[in-house]
Amino acid sequence: MKKFLGLLASVVLVISMLAGCVSQESATGGSKGKKEGSGNDKIKIAVVPKLIGIPYFNASEKGVIEAGKELGVDVIYTGPTEADAAQQVKVIEDLISQNVDVIAVAPNDAASLTPVLKKAKDKGIIVMDWDTPADQSLVELSVHQIDDEAYGRHIAKSLIEKMGAEEGEIAILTGGLSAANLNTWIDAAKKELAEKYPGIKLVTDKIATDEKQQVAYQKTLDLVKSYPNLKGIMAFSTPAPLGAAQAIQEKGLQDKIAVVGTALPTDSAPYLEDGSLDVAILWEPDKLGFLTVALAKALAEGKKPENGQDIAKVGKIELWEDGKTVIMGPPTDFTKENAKDFNF
Amino acid sequence: MKSILKSKEMSIAAIVIALCITLTFVSPVFLTADNLLDVLKANSVIGILAVGMTLVIITGGIDVSVAAVTSAVCVIIGKLMQVMPDHFSSLLLLFLIAPLLGILLGAINGVLVAKIRIPAIVVTLGMMSIINGLVLYITNGVYLNSTNFPKVFIQFANIKVFGVSVIILIFMAVALFTWYILKYTLIGREVLAIGGNKESALRVGINFDKVQVFVFSYMGLLAGIAAIAQTAYTKSVDPNGMLGLELLVIAGVVLGGANIMGGRGTIMGTVLGVLLLGIVQNGLILAKIDTFWQKVFTGCIILLAVSYDHIQYKRSQEKLAKIEVEA
Repeated sequence: MKKFLGLLASVVLVISMLAGCVSQESATGGSKGKKEGSGNDKIKIAVVPKLIGIPYFNASEKGVIEAGKELGVDVIYTGPTEADAAQQVKVIEDLISQNVDVIAVAPNDAASLTPVLKKAKDKGIIVMDWDTPADQSLVELSVHQIDDEAYGRHIAKSLIEKMGAEEGEIAILTGGLSAANLNTWIDAAKKELAEKYPGIKLVTDKIATDEKQQVAYQKTLDLVKSYPNLKGIMAFSTPAPLGAAQAIQEKGLQDKIAVVGTALPTDSAPYLEDGSLDVAILWEPDKLGFLTVALAKALAEGKKPENGQDIAKVGKIELWEDGKTVIMGPPTDFTKENAKDFNF
Repeated sequence: MKSILKSKEMSIAAIVIALCITLTFVSPVFLTADNLLDVLKANSVIGILAVGMTLVIITGGIDVSVAAVTSAVCVIIGKLMQVMPDHFSSLLLLFLIAPLLGILLGAINGVLVAKIRIPAIVVTLGMMSIINGLVLYITNGVYLNSTNFPKVFIQFANIKVFGVSVIILIFMAVALFTWYILKYTLIGREVLAIGGNKESALRVGINFDKVQVFVFSYMGLLAGIAAIAQTAYTKSVDPNGMLGLELLVIAGVVLGGANIMGGRGTIMGTVLGVLLLGIVQNGLILAKIDTFWQKVFTGCIILLAVSYDHIQYKRSQEKLAKIEVEA
């Protein structure tokens, strides 16, 4: 028995050591591109995503690192392993003690980051947000991928175009009922429909799919059965369009029901191929990462962006009148023809 | 006949039937073969896991790592399928690897619970966290879609026997097999004996540790099978797609009349419990109930079902006690 316990203890020790290696590796894995030693006087820019390890933020990481290389700045891309505000606070604390010049953050919860961002600002670090707005009184710049209102309207317009009719029944799928950004887009889409296409009838309120493909799949199957005249589906959140398209594909309704949604091009390729998903509309997350670093560098050098300024590799940006909100540009339509050209 | 009517499963079956009748009146689509098969197919993965969970819960344990184990197996077979040749043997290999991986992970749970005597909820919570972390580390959250899967797997996923999808058949086979184990094999009777009265079971010489390792390994086996069913169902692997599924699995088992503290539970009841959950989900959209009210309705039906079942059970227990006194 003693022997067994000894063996067990050693196994546990070895495992915990291994676990330590893994977690260390993953902790530093997110901060590629950061140079050793603090002797150089390059500008240090930290970009903090909501979480690391999902396709969307992996793609923006690529853009951040590319920008670091091209613009000659040190970049640190690091964030929590789950979308958790408390973990994100810790990450920012660490960055403050590393003496970075700029921190750009995509907050999981804007309010809970306010104290730590204030601390950063007091230490002379430039604070900005990207992807999702933080406390606007603290940030110098707020980089948005998209104009939310225009995006929602664009999705609604695309649906009408793909349906090929300005009247008929449609349904809306969403990731979660409480997701603020999804709700903003959905409201904008609804407004567009109400204003310009009075013939369109929404059969039921938005349906939650828990950010899961299989749930979106089941709900779509139920929808097409309960509403046999359904002509179109708008799906918000990245897994929802895939689930909806899978249901359409399985039931062979490609020509009867149009599906548009917010999905990444590689994931949606198999559904775009046979028309079960008509178009995936999103922005290019790597460009967003690139733009964030480019603007951060300019800020550190004391330059503010201008409306209509042309950023290399990104294109013309839009600056709102508040002098803080930057819009990257119009959304990108991923279709059967171009989906293969993207690698995220 | 009377014994069937009085059996534990009857109360839940009655609720399922009542719900079906109501839905048939509300929506003409509900009682079509197409819809019923969709409901069954959609809930097969939960069903397979719930069948395994029934054994764990009967012995007084719980396994909250089921969804994590299933995703881990999904990810591993998904990665394997990217490199597998398009040949029938690939399919056989999958059916060998997935259950074995599941058993391995389940057995780790079982050994920790039985030999070191850590409470099952702690062990499996830890396991869940470890696996979820590793899966995220390995996959980086990247979604695998069917473009690189062997064609033979897609063909397998599309198999239908008299219109019944192979995924439903797997679920049925798992339920029948587990029912057989519980009813006719020694280890099955030992599981029930421990659930019935642990002290007496120990005194007649049943090895509690062995039974615990068995139920957790069996749960792992079914998680491996569920992983195949899940991959066949979504034809893709989403590393985060099953987060939180363990709660639905446990809900299905408890709805089916199992006692969460151990002792009571049947396979038939669990299958009905899972169906009840599935039908409620399906019916809410068919009945055109507003999104925000759907959750409220789901909660009400669950509470109603569990209280009805529990009242029935208490009544039967009271009768039982009386007979004992008289005898």
